[in-house]
Amino acid sequence: MRSWQDLEEFEAFLDDGGMVEPGDAMPDEYRSEVFRFIEFHANSELMGGLTERDWIPKAPGLRLKQIFLAKTQDEIGHAHLLYMVAADMGVKSRTEMLEDLFEGRSRFHNVFHYQAVTWADQIAIAYLVDAAALASQRSVFAECTYGPYKRVLKRIVAEEGFHMRHGEEMLLRLTEGTDIQRSMFQEALNRWWWPAVQLFGPDSDPNDPLLRWKIKSKRNEELRHTYVQTYVPLLQGYGFEIPDADLRLVDGVWQSGDIDWEPLKATMRNGGPDSRRRIETAANNWTDTAWVRASLDTAVAKRSADAAA
Amino acid sequence: MTAPQVSASTTLPATDDDVIAAADRLLLTVDDPEYPGLSIVDLGLVEEVDAIGSSVVVSLIPTFAGCPALHMIAADVTTALEADPRIDSCEVRWLATPLWSSERITNRAKDRLASSYTVVLRSKDGSLRCPICGNTDVRDQSMVGPTRCRSIAWCDDCRNPVEVMR
Repeated sequence: MRSWQDLEEFEAFLDDGGMVEPGDAMPDEYRSEVFRFIEFHANSELMGGLTERDWIPKAPGLRLKQIFLAKTQDEIGHAHLLYMVAADMGVKSRTEMLEDLFEGRSRFHNVFHYQAVTWADQIAIAYLVDAAALASQRSVFAECTYGPYKRVLKRIVAEEGFHMRHGEEMLLRLTEGTDIQRSMFQEALNRWWWPAVQLFGPDSDPNDPLLRWKIKSKRNEELRHTYVQTYVPLLQGYGFEIPDADLRLVDGVWQSGDIDWEPLKATMRNGGPDSRRRIETAANNWTDTAWVRASLDTAVAKRSADAAA
Repeated sequence: MTAPQVSASTTLPATDDDVIAAADRLLLTVDDPEYPGLSIVDLGLVEEVDAIGSSVVVSLIPTFAGCPALHMIAADVTTALEADPRIDSCEVRWLATPLWSSERITNRAKDRLASSYTVVLRSKDGSLRCPICGNTDVRDQSMVGPTRCRSIAWCDDCRNPVEVMR
């Protein structure tokens, strides 16, 4: 077990490229900040997975259903791995994390607080929102001083890259479609552009401990800026309009109009347009599947009793 | 006036064996979409490569019949192979037999899965070795993980989740 005399010595260790492992006597501040971050990520994977699941029966065609099945499994699997890593940190148990989430006491990504109205919304999510989430996860993976989190992120990032290809493929199909299909996507883009841009959060606090402790490798505004530079020309290239009247190209750099952060703040209070329904659905899902967990517990207990006999 | 440069490959028609050899080499560049850095050859997906003239048929076996990546893998194979001037068309066939098993994964790929993805294979006696600390104190947690081809375990020693190829 490694330990550090004070925060200064610990930070020097991180600056030297040190990686923290579960058995280390890490400073309490580091433990609680990293835990909160992983819990937020786990909650977001779970809520995202449940959203994907809603669209399995509605996805047009067997192949798309197969893709949505696989994506749902991916997200729930990622949540599972992240909850394992988070619970091991000893701040909250897995059950406590889930109960906090289902009772509306926890946070998860802003994008899962909105309603997906049409199939085109689901494509906008796969194309725009998954890309924003992936950019954010990649920037965490790039440094990430907490060993178990970094190892899980490696696989998450690889799998989310695979989802993005599906998003591109689905968008291409729609852009090559009828006028109605194209206008469906434009309407979805109008709903999802700002939530996707806001996913990165407001400008980072200069003293953000997650940056200092190398959990995050890039500031929120840097990630947001890069995202806008990539997606504005792509979407315009497909003939869509970005729902930002003040968007300007200045010396080859895209500059967004002023961002209204109120919608993001509302989602962080679980007061977004679809927050209540989403949380309620997730909570009901947890209650409805209690019998599965109970049967498994009984089976495991019986097996251990049989083994002991 | 200089005579146009003619290279050997354009004067001599490629034999079927040449084309197959070229296809074999190109398949090494096709990565599994979920494991960048690991090719479909490494993972044991390629069963047979055949050529008649400039037409190639690649026969692959899926890890799981319902794998959502099949379409993407087939498209990646076609793109990689048709980039070669000797190959005009490439057809990908998914075979129902033989069944894929983790024994088809090359040793190089097994090492790579363990070291960069912390994904391991169960040994013949059913035991698991942690790819991070090497300990054998690894407990099964759930039958499936993020994909249907992996289950999840937990290493009690270094306290990391471990994924297991099924």
